[in-house]
Amino acid sequence: MTQLILQSVVSGILVGGMYGLVALGLALAFGVLKVLDVAHGELLMLGGYASFFAFTFWGLDPFVSMPLVFVAMFGFGVILYLVLFRYVTRTEIHTRIKNSLLISFGLVLVLQALAVRFFTADERTISTAYSLEALTIGPVRVPVVRLAGLVVAVSAALALEWLLSRTRFGRALRATSEDWTRAALTGVNVRRVYLIAFAISAALAAIAGSLVSMGYSISPSIGLGWTLKALIVVVLAGLGSMRGIIVAGIFLGLVESLASVWLGGQYREVVALVLFLVILSFRPHGFYGRAHA
Amino acid sequence: MLRVDGLEVAYGDLQVVWGVSFVVPEDSIVAILGPNGAGKTTTLLAIMGLLPVKAGSASFKGNSLIGLPTHQMVERGLVMIPEERGAFTSLSVEENLELGAYTPRARTSRTETMEEVYDTFPRLAARKSQSAGTLSGGERQMLAIGKALMARPELLILDEPSLGLAPIIVEQIFDVIRDIRDRGVSVLMVEQHLEMALESADYAYILEMGSMATEGTGPELEADTRVREAYLSL
Repeated sequence: MTQLILQSVVSGILVGGMYGLVALGLALAFGVLKVLDVAHGELLMLGGYASFFAFTFWGLDPFVSMPLVFVAMFGFGVILYLVLFRYVTRTEIHTRIKNSLLISFGLVLVLQALAVRFFTADERTISTAYSLEALTIGPVRVPVVRLAGLVVAVSAALALEWLLSRTRFGRALRATSEDWTRAALTGVNVRRVYLIAFAISAALAAIAGSLVSMGYSISPSIGLGWTLKALIVVVLAGLGSMRGIIVAGIFLGLVESLASVWLGGQYREVVALVLFLVILSFRPHGFYGRAHA
Repeated sequence: MLRVDGLEVAYGDLQVVWGVSFVVPEDSIVAILGPNGAGKTTTLLAIMGLLPVKAGSASFKGNSLIGLPTHQMVERGLVMIPEERGAFTSLSVEENLELGAYTPRARTSRTETMEEVYDTFPRLAARKSQSAGTLSGGERQMLAIGKALMARPELLILDEPSLGLAPIIVEQIFDVIRDIRDRGVSVLMVEQHLEMALESADYAYILEMGSMATEGTGPELEADTRVREAYLSL
């Protein structure tokens, strides 16, 4: 039993890191653009396929193709912003949430259908030579690929925090997220800030997808599940700090993992959603915290 | 320096500004005065490109401002401090000032400008690393002005600089505004606080119900019976 619990704790932490990573991009787009992009999980799915095909066709190791996937999805994010979300950000802050929900839900359907058409509905996983390797620490096995995922998630959060707190562009991001009108009056090109923030958000989703395609599996329909986890994480953590988002992700992963040990696997999702409702009931302002307090 | 002609602004079907014209000459303080709801702030926001202009023109140093994105106006030296002060509470005092020099033109002289700002407002220097959210109302207005100066303005626009401040702080702020003018920056301010504004302004306009009711120098307006009766408790 102890071994089972320890193993669940480790798996919970590892999957939680992924929840956190997915939530980082969602929080960035929501904090800065006030756009709720429920297609974030579909961007993850696309990133996963990009890594999968790069591996299958060109034999590119997913860790090698990761920077390429990042850049490609940054570009795709730019296109999505210019074609769709640009029009959402022209409306008032409160209208943006509703409009972005509608638009991004449409995007979910389109991307899923296209993925089924072109990639088939099969579940895929990248199997490299090291895919099955694991570190054995006492009674616990730590799969290296999933561990690498956690390391990437933490690094992404720290990099984002550095960007926000130490760079000129980061200050502009924080200013825009606090009040875009005043940011514009300060000389910040708000549209460009929106464009770049959205593109970074998309690129982060793709990195997560790349890791999911190695440590877990991908299929055209995985997106909404990941988006939902990310939403729960953002509600848990607020938009206050990037590090906090990773911590909240790990917390969610742990809760789910332990719930499935004690209550049975079928309660995994239920526990996460109950947690979501409890947080919304008792800390409803978590969602509207500052992008960087 | 700034010339506005026949400006009309509407929020959807509701028109609030009906053909407003005024000029801000170089090296002077011009005030737009008038009661709440006269359309003062609306006029400023429209000039800055934050509200759509229905008709009329606005030009700065001879170039039209209509359709120009706000951040490019800042780059050209037209800087506005909004009514809610313009500093960001989620940033520290120093980060706010650094952000003030965001445009490429202002960035080159960032270090010198910051020294000047700290000389003008020693209290900001003492609170460098504090979050702007912890400042008092007066300090926050000083930070807003400091941040605007970081952008190296040629024309500084202030929306209700005295709003919510104690009289003694208001005096200080107006001293600073006059000092800014003497350093060669033109100032356009909108005020409800008439006496104070008329004392400092070289020229003033009175806006009522979205159009200019009257205009003149401070002493002229103070002598105007209608203005005296309507606005001044003299």
